[in-house]
Amino acid sequence: MSKGFLLFAQNTDSVNYVTQAYALALSIKFSQHEIKNVSLVTNDKVPKKYQKVFDQIIPIPWFDETTDTALKGEHRWKLYHATPYEETIVLDSDMLLLEDITSWWDYCGNSDLKFCNQITNYKLDIVNDTYHRKTFIANQLTNPYYALHYFKKNRPAYEFYKVLEFVCNNWEWAYGRFAPDEYQNWLSMDLATAIAIEISGMYEISTDTCSPLRFTHMKTPIQGWTPIPVSWQDTIPYVLNSTGKLVVGNIKQNELFHYVEKNFISKRILSRLQELADGS
Amino acid sequence: MTTGSIIFAQNNSTVDYVKLAIFSAIKIKQHLDIPVSLITDIKSWVEDTYPDHPFDKIIEIPNDTTIQKKHFHDGTLSSHKLEWKNQLRSSVYDLTPYDRTLVVDSDYLLNSDILKSALDNEYDFQIYRNSFDLAGRRNNSEFVRINQYSIPFYWATVFIFNKNTITENFFTLVAYIKANWLYFRNLYSIESSIFRNDFAFSIAIHIMNEKTAGNFAVELPGIMTYITDRDFLVTIKDTSIQFLLEKKDHPGEYIASKTQGLDVHVMNKLSLGRFIDGGSGV
Repeated sequence: MSKGFLLFAQNTDSVNYVTQAYALALSIKFSQHEIKNVSLVTNDKVPKKYQKVFDQIIPIPWFDETTDTALKGEHRWKLYHATPYEETIVLDSDMLLLEDITSWWDYCGNSDLKFCNQITNYKLDIVNDTYHRKTFIANQLTNPYYALHYFKKNRPAYEFYKVLEFVCNNWEWAYGRFAPDEYQNWLSMDLATAIAIEISGMYEISTDTCSPLRFTHMKTPIQGWTPIPVSWQDTIPYVLNSTGKLVVGNIKQNELFHYVEKNFISKRILSRLQELADGS
Repeated sequence: MTTGSIIFAQNNSTVDYVKLAIFSAIKIKQHLDIPVSLITDIKSWVEDTYPDHPFDKIIEIPNDTTIQKKHFHDGTLSSHKLEWKNQLRSSVYDLTPYDRTLVVDSDYLLNSDILKSALDNEYDFQIYRNSFDLAGRRNNSEFVRINQYSIPFYWATVFIFNKNTITENFFTLVAYIKANWLYFRNLYSIESSIFRNDFAFSIAIHIMNEKTAGNFAVELPGIMTYITDRDFLVTIKDTSIQFLLEKKDHPGEYIASKTQGLDVHVMNKLSLGRFIDGGSGV
């Protein structure tokens, strides 16, 4: 059964998501022992140098250039239909995979679909994000993170993604119906996923407290700092060393790191990731 | 395999740590039934002054030449700047006569046998990370992480270790951190210039955990309960202790409190000393 990681990139005027996806793919190449397959879904130009790390570069299906939102997130429900793998782990492009996660594949293999529902800050404390997730709490929704999820190519996952497609395409109605309190006036894949779970009744895909799916989330309000700074990179030291260990604020980060701040992928970090991938 | 306890006592001009250590040792023997040894820089003075001391052995160390001073509060309205000799804690690995050692600060009062279960298990190194301020309302963030940007805080007040290569490495690391304190203080963004064993232990545990969430240090049973030096110990009767705890926004006013059968870290050493002398700690 084919397994692989699937990334999505849609560049904006200010952010080159293709470069971020390339950085993530490099990190997958050096950190993973067994499953290193990675494909990219994008309609943007991928430089030749970047192309070799991807198994496949797949155009966004059913793409309509006239549609636009700030996050361009409305296409991400299509990932189920775009994946070339029978088992897929979807990752947000602004992440780095730092350690082997073979055990995640083994665990998730028992399910059709599994969303990450727990995050940590860089101190490795599990965080209940009451800052960004007010509408989830107010409307008693589950707490999925679309940035990290697993699915199989099968009927239950297909049906879930059909519901997610419906929510994404009718998000204002769906938000009004299922998340009216602390109303969020923009389409977020996390909230759309939570509502799709509510509609489909597939609560088990995001309420598994034993699930190993977890990542370090670097949004500054959840780092336990007072006052809250604008940038974590300006607040604590960090280094990606020559053995691929990422140490942030003197704390070595595990497995999956969601750096959030787009300028984190500097020339220096990218060059280090290339060295690590070349040496793996 | 031998099991015993160690207490450090290095007096300064005002605090007789040996007196506190004797009081603490009696309680350790009462509740855990293990021998207690003293590590001090004034062995002959101890033998002359306290001939009926309860110690199994008195181990002499050289006088600590590193002079460090800190404020010792005695309630909210009084404080003294006194010498603080705490540089030799890392040498306990070489000095202890026991295979398994419980190290206890002289101001830590055992009133239960809760640590007995920790002495009976096989973990290499056990220490408190979680703590509870009896006053209940003060900001205790300094005892959660060494600062808000950094690593977890561990209490070097009470810990248990087995003698083996792993713990030898740990204490070597603590000594290295102490010897290079300015560097580590800067690296971990520690504001205070005073060397504290709590900080050195916290950093060393973090490194032993490969700088991530590891399991080198196992939590001791229960929770480290403490009063600060802005509170008073009033009196002790059997396993019950009465305190006066600093009142919020009213300096010099206190709230009465009482514990029963609870081990307590009494940071107001002057108050504890007054009680041991035969009166009230206030």
